[in-house]
Amino acid sequence: MTSANSWYEAGARQRVAALLDPGSFVEFIGPEQRESSPHLAIFDLPEQFDDGIIVGRGTLEGRRILVAAQEGRFMGGAFGEVHGAKLTGLLRAARSLREPVLILFDTGGVRLQEANAGEIAIAEIMRALVEARMAGVQVVGLIGGRAGCYGGGSLIAGCCSALIVSEQGRISVSGPEVIETNRGVEEFDSRDRALVWRTMGGKHRYLIGGADAFADDDVLAFREAALIVLAENGRLDADVLEAEQQRLEHRLHRFGKAHDAIDIWTDIGVSEPTEIPGLANDEFLRRIADKRETANGAR
Amino acid sequence: MRNWSTQKEALALRRYAGQRYACGKSVALDDLPRFLEAVLRPGDRVCLEGDNQKQAHILAKALANLDPGKVHDLHMVQSGVVLSEHLDVFEKGVAKRLDFSYSGPQSTRIARMLFGGKIELGAVHTYLELFARYFIDLTPQVALIAAVSADRDGNLYTGPNTEDTPTVVEATSFKSGLVVAQVAEIVDKVPRVDIPGDLVHFVVDAKKPFYVEPLFTRDPAAITETQILTAMLAIKGLYAPYGVRRLNHGIGFNTAAIELLLPTYGEKLGLKGKICTHFALNPHPTLIPAIEAGWVEQIHSFGSEVGMDNYLSARSDIFFTGPDGSLRSNRAYCQVAGLYACDMFIGSTLQIDLQGHSSTVTTNRIAGFGGAPNMGSDSRGRRHPSEPWLKAGADADPDAAAGLRRGRKLVVQIGETFGEKNVPLFVERLDALELADKLDLDLAPVMIYGDDVSHIITEDGIANLLLCRDNDEREQAIRGVAGYTDVGRARDRKMVERLRARGVIRRPEDLGIDPLDADRRMLAARSIKDLMLASGGLYQPPSRFRNW
Repeated sequence: MTSANSWYEAGARQRVAALLDPGSFVEFIGPEQRESSPHLAIFDLPEQFDDGIIVGRGTLEGRRILVAAQEGRFMGGAFGEVHGAKLTGLLRAARSLREPVLILFDTGGVRLQEANAGEIAIAEIMRALVEARMAGVQVVGLIGGRAGCYGGGSLIAGCCSALIVSEQGRISVSGPEVIETNRGVEEFDSRDRALVWRTMGGKHRYLIGGADAFADDDVLAFREAALIVLAENGRLDADVLEAEQQRLEHRLHRFGKAHDAIDIWTDIGVSEPTEIPGLANDEFLRRIADKRETANGAR
Repeated sequence: MRNWSTQKEALALRRYAGQRYACGKSVALDDLPRFLEAVLRPGDRVCLEGDNQKQAHILAKALANLDPGKVHDLHMVQSGVVLSEHLDVFEKGVAKRLDFSYSGPQSTRIARMLFGGKIELGAVHTYLELFARYFIDLTPQVALIAAVSADRDGNLYTGPNTEDTPTVVEATSFKSGLVVAQVAEIVDKVPRVDIPGDLVHFVVDAKKPFYVEPLFTRDPAAITETQILTAMLAIKGLYAPYGVRRLNHGIGFNTAAIELLLPTYGEKLGLKGKICTHFALNPHPTLIPAIEAGWVEQIHSFGSEVGMDNYLSARSDIFFTGPDGSLRSNRAYCQVAGLYACDMFIGSTLQIDLQGHSSTVTTNRIAGFGGAPNMGSDSRGRRHPSEPWLKAGADADPDAAAGLRRGRKLVVQIGETFGEKNVPLFVERLDALELADKLDLDLAPVMIYGDDVSHIITEDGIANLLLCRDNDEREQAIRGVAGYTDVGRARDRKMVERLRARGVIRRPEDLGIDPLDADRRMLAARSIKDLMLASGGLYQPPSRFRNW
């Protein structure tokens, strides 16, 4: 049953409050400063005082950590100018302070109403993220919200040192509707949600090494996973990039012709692959334990 | 000497013409177009089976592809205008006149075709009303129906989604009309005989199941906290004081929230066994937790629901099932049950005006009525007493002698003051009136008339219209729960406070409900997967509702 601390159900502020040590979170540029979007009023759209993202600092098991959390219920967690600038600033601070960062993704991508500003924001965030990582800072993405992690959000996620995902989480550059609109319903039926989840959902991403840790849909489970991931080395240098390039080439070579995620699961030797979506998490982890593709020190 | 058997002779001619394309009763799919051209006559009154759930979609497709030079001017009498083919027959000139009840997904196109004069409209009915007319002045000459399987004698198994079929066949076959069924397979012996073979003249093996729309599945993940608040108000402020045990729920998220609050909030209030024990209701997946917790004694259903069949078979103490173990639904009987044997109907709507009239019609959409007005009306023919019915009657007419006082059904409209896309629920004037002007209709398509409505529930509170003594009070009671809509802001504050003092309007705080307690964690299930787990894996949700 859905946990009382469900990550999927929680809003951004609830996630941050339950994820960090109790009472440790201090917000930067909070809603009281009214830093809302300069663009939405033109479209007669409602603004939000935090522009749909919360950034700040707290502690995790006593260790200082920076956090950004997107609010998927405000414009699908989409990146606009202010929203993006808050994350860029946080990542630049992380580089100076040498403190690790958790990004709680919950986003459909760039906010269409702020297209150019949003696209630039994505580029700035990616640059700041890579610079922070080059300086030795770990940046970990947590994905399990309603909006998933799409578009520019997925590009940023791709730059992270590690990703934690739950079954509910989805990661993809193009969303189901976008694929259907561009390539037709025969290519991808966006209303077939079982198809959406087995193509973009948390179980599949974890199975093919697209995510490094798999968590129950529970804020405390994400916390546990974050502690484990943060204990690892998140370095980024030419060797790591090279390894990541090879990993992706290998993956494309091996699975590029697969028509359905189930073909891939069959190929990597998962028993009864069609049962994967319906399995409870512990059974899922047990069954795939020695089968999943891992990042192999890449990223 | 008058010939008193012209209809029987006409049927014999149709059967003879159709027999050219049949082997016994069986018509091959490839021969279907020629077969239909042989048995149909221009101007025939035809019932093409389809409602808000099941569809004879293979027969619909074939009908829409007929040559209008051979078959034209048909008069369609059918529950639902749901598939695009249902309107294609008019676009192509195969059919001309239409009497129907429900048009959910085609509501925009049907409006456009009515404005364009492509369809000659008889009337928009409620389900029961249309069924009734099948037996009086709209008896079909040909019925094109859908079943799960048939044997070689034409005995039909209609399965869990029996729905309208017995009614349609009764009216058609016993009045010398022709009955043609599409089935998914021909078998040696059907699991149970839902329709006797001697009422069925031809059977088409469509090789696939008839289409069913999962109309009654509401994803708990989409239920908002405001909807939870309205559900709390309903349970504590209406179900409990009236002791409502026999009822029907609409299909909206507000009533889904009520269903999911029974095992949690309802349990806390000690209401188990005192409310919600008997339903006229489709098998709503959101009712699973309440059924599993032992709240519900019995449910009769209009139809089935996609994915629920195994669960229903495994819960035959609760649902009506056949000797084969699967659900037997029947729309006509269930509508009658909702009209006469239920003490409450509660459902949502799109617009409510100052008299309490409600409508789901907007200026460019004609969604039809379906069954809501049958459930959502006070049956003047009712004679058996029950506690909620008598109490509501006393609310409405406290001065009458008890022995001569009619009871009243509780007819409740529930919703948020601002609905989807922030459109206000309350309006000064229904869009239905404008539509009636545009189409030159005698009647505006009103879903539930104001004089049938007993209560309106929003997040702002409950308005008990039974306690209103004149139109002014009624108007202010409605404005009083209309929140920040224009209608709500134009309230007479003093009068609204007087109504509140009299208990005509009851706010959440008057009922001891703190709006901040309305939390999704109170729902007995918060996702479709939770519902599946609550059913012990018996409920198999369709793909479109999954997020795994």
